[in-house]
Amino acid sequence: MSAPEMKKTILDFEKNFEWWWAAEKKRSKRLDYLRKAIWKKGAIGGLYAPGVKVDLERPVLQTEKAKELEFSPDPYVVKFAKMIAHCLDNKTIFITDHAQLVGYTGSLPNTISWDPSAASILSEEVYNDPTSTPEPVDKNLKIIEEVKAYWSGKTDLDKMMPHFDFDDLMKILSGSISWGIPLTRGGYSGKDYEYLMTGKRAFQDIIDQIDKNIEDADQKVHQPTAKREFFPLYEKMNNWEAMIIMLEAGIRIAKRYARLAKIIAENFETDPKRKQELLKIAETCERVPAHPPRNLQESLQYDIFIQMISRTEAIEGAWPARPDYYHGPYYDKDVNIDKTLTKEEAIDLVGEFLIRAAEVCQFKPKWSREGLQGIDGTWVWTLGGVNKDGSDACNDLTIAFMQAARLVRVANPTFAFRWHPRVKDEVMREIFECIRQGLGYPTLRNDPILIANAMHWHKHPIDEARTWVHQACMSPCPTTKHGFQPMRMANATANCAKIMEYVLSSGYDKTVNMQVGADTGDPRNFTDFEQVFEAWVKQMKTIFSILVRAVNMARVIGPKLTPRPFLSSISERSVESGLDVCEPSISRGNAWITAFTWVENIDSLAAVKKLVFDDKKYTMAELKEAIDKNWEGNEKMRIDFVRNAPKWGNDDNYVDDIMVRCLREAAKFSKEIECPCGNTWPILPENVSGNIHYANVVGALPNGRRLGDALYDGGISPGPGLDKKGPTAVLKSCAKIDHISDGRAFLLNQRLSPTQLEGEKGYQLWKAYIRTWADLGIDHVQFNMVDDKTLRSAQKEPENYQEVIVRVAGYSAHFVDISRKTQDNIIQRTVQGL
Amino acid sequence: MTTCNHCKHYFPLDEDQTKGDCVRRVEDQRQSYYQSKPVEANKDASSCPFYSTK
Repeated sequence: MSAPEMKKTILDFEKNFEWWWAAEKKRSKRLDYLRKAIWKKGAIGGLYAPGVKVDLERPVLQTEKAKELEFSPDPYVVKFAKMIAHCLDNKTIFITDHAQLVGYTGSLPNTISWDPSAASILSEEVYNDPTSTPEPVDKNLKIIEEVKAYWSGKTDLDKMMPHFDFDDLMKILSGSISWGIPLTRGGYSGKDYEYLMTGKRAFQDIIDQIDKNIEDADQKVHQPTAKREFFPLYEKMNNWEAMIIMLEAGIRIAKRYARLAKIIAENFETDPKRKQELLKIAETCERVPAHPPRNLQESLQYDIFIQMISRTEAIEGAWPARPDYYHGPYYDKDVNIDKTLTKEEAIDLVGEFLIRAAEVCQFKPKWSREGLQGIDGTWVWTLGGVNKDGSDACNDLTIAFMQAARLVRVANPTFAFRWHPRVKDEVMREIFECIRQGLGYPTLRNDPILIANAMHWHKHPIDEARTWVHQACMSPCPTTKHGFQPMRMANATANCAKIMEYVLSSGYDKTVNMQVGADTGDPRNFTDFEQVFEAWVKQMKTIFSILVRAVNMARVIGPKLTPRPFLSSISERSVESGLDVCEPSISRGNAWITAFTWVENIDSLAAVKKLVFDDKKYTMAELKEAIDKNWEGNEKMRIDFVRNAPKWGNDDNYVDDIMVRCLREAAKFSKEIECPCGNTWPILPENVSGNIHYANVVGALPNGRRLGDALYDGGISPGPGLDKKGPTAVLKSCAKIDHISDGRAFLLNQRLSPTQLEGEKGYQLWKAYIRTWADLGIDHVQFNMVDDKTLRSAQKEPENYQEVIVRVAGYSAHFVDISRKTQDNIIQRTVQGL
Repeated sequence: MTTCNHCKHYFPLDEDQTKGDCVRRVEDQRQSYYQSKPVEANKDASSCPFYSTK
């Protein structure tokens, strides 16, 4: 195809909003190859894609080393570090054609890594998964069985279980009120980027520091006069030893990649340009992670190695990152100062970095795969924001990331942009272009609000609060010594629709047939709305307490039973203190409760207040009977509750006041419960795919919902089709919430029309909307901008729409990778005209 | 005995000739790559499907 012909084709695609075809034509040959080389790792309908297989190499290596160390006198933390080091030293590694960056948790590109030491129930899922066992199936099932049998009773969860309150544990494991399992090695691990990624040090420097710490401690404990104060040093020296084992293993595996790149260059590769690239890879991997990076390629490679090793140590469900901030200085040096890279070459590197992140995968339990359809975990990368002194932090790499994202069109990582009033117009235009081209990201975060929020809830000092990144989908977390949170257990995630369900059943859960909530009495005896609300508050506190107790327990005992020597080794507070990074006493804390299925409560309470107590159209007895029958035989009544009770998102104080009241009760309670660091537990309404995952778990509700209906799509978003008064009304409803003190953050989905937002006029319309959003003090908004016609076509011919992306909830996914029910749910979302 | 160090895919370590890497080219359904796995020089390769004499 000639250059003018190619250009005409690109314009044609863009005119028809077929951004994915235009991207294919625009990106470099290298990026096109690497983009198409990705094996899709997100589960579709809870199952991994054809050809994606569980990796058996790591489990076999880890098990053989564990057996070897069984009678070793080493403390557990040292044994664990040796197991992981053995895996890194002996696993298969690979370098993809045309790649400039290397490193993957699995042994081969189509494999997903399985940690057999995490949880026995996870290993059972590996064994029973019909699609992901590699060939030959019979032989490999035997291997899985042997590995599973060895670790049975020895996994992290097996060790932790006896410590939990049995009653709480049964309620959590029932799957009705929470999402996740409390494990230190299974969650969303923040990183102390201020220690690790500012160019001041790398692995060898940390090893040297730890060596000194051990030497000092050793001298103290061998003093002639034994002192009580020296007792803790013995354990610290064990932790430090384990940290060194991990860091040295990290340096060794990088050198293995260097060696492989050299072998390929010297023995196999005939193209001179590719030979040079391979030798550059070798040079890069000799340098990092042992020593600080010197250029953009080394900086990105350093980041990949850190993530790879961290995800070998633990199952990480998120990727907290601020890539433009920490890699930006190297981009500036290479592209603007030394001019060793052209912008196009830099975009190739940045685009590949996105692709490397997109292909990361660790075997996750089915509830996670169903809750996060189409992706492995929420890699929400934070762009923009401010520096520690409050000045604008956006740089050329901020723009480069967004340009690269439009070329490679991965759904994960996804970006969230920290908006503030001084963001330049050129950056806003890049954000708009990403949204307009249907990426579903960046989401917009109101930086001044969220900095104040971090200071309010967790007392982070302002300069630390300004470093914040998304710890998972939504919650801010500093990247500082005492501010960063080493794990966030998904288990403090509440299926809040159950609060309302339990008001009407006095805490009995019909789906799992057990008493889960509080006994709040027979709702038929409630004579006014205040009694209903009082019961609601009691159920809310009961559910939240169950989850918080479990997570607190895991956080307290985790460091001893299930340590994280690698994450400790890259965290200043652990290198300094000799304590495991999850030890609460050295952390400020940054906990929150994710509140799935929140708005169902608001609409349901409003419906009860209006139709039962204000209009007196129905009695509580009639409502309870209809709910108990799942509305069967009461369709007219159900439609009444759907249509004739006020709904959230329409700037109607009747229901909006209920939202604020509920949030403030939760906020009050958030300050009564404590995390092990002594800090608060604010709530954060958002959903991931919980609205689909819980559809068959949550029963009928007074908002007119039946068992099996999809729940609302997330956070404080109005129910699909229930926001009737336009986008400004939605914003005005949301603005009645105090986004600093009423909770941790509040997810808002909005769907916009691609045709309305064309051209300069479209940009100005969107910018005005953002201005209103910011002025109203709302902390979050995210957009879908794909029309119904495209989505319906994608349902009919998915093979032609592989790179169409939609915003699901706190993450984006390729539309063809999510379930039909979720697809229909997204199509039902109201398209707002600005 | 057929051992890894006689195979064309075997590349010994400079610092320790008793160990090396088995490097092979692979083409799967989506991409082509070179993979590397650590092996002992005297590992029995008689049942290795990829063995090829140097």
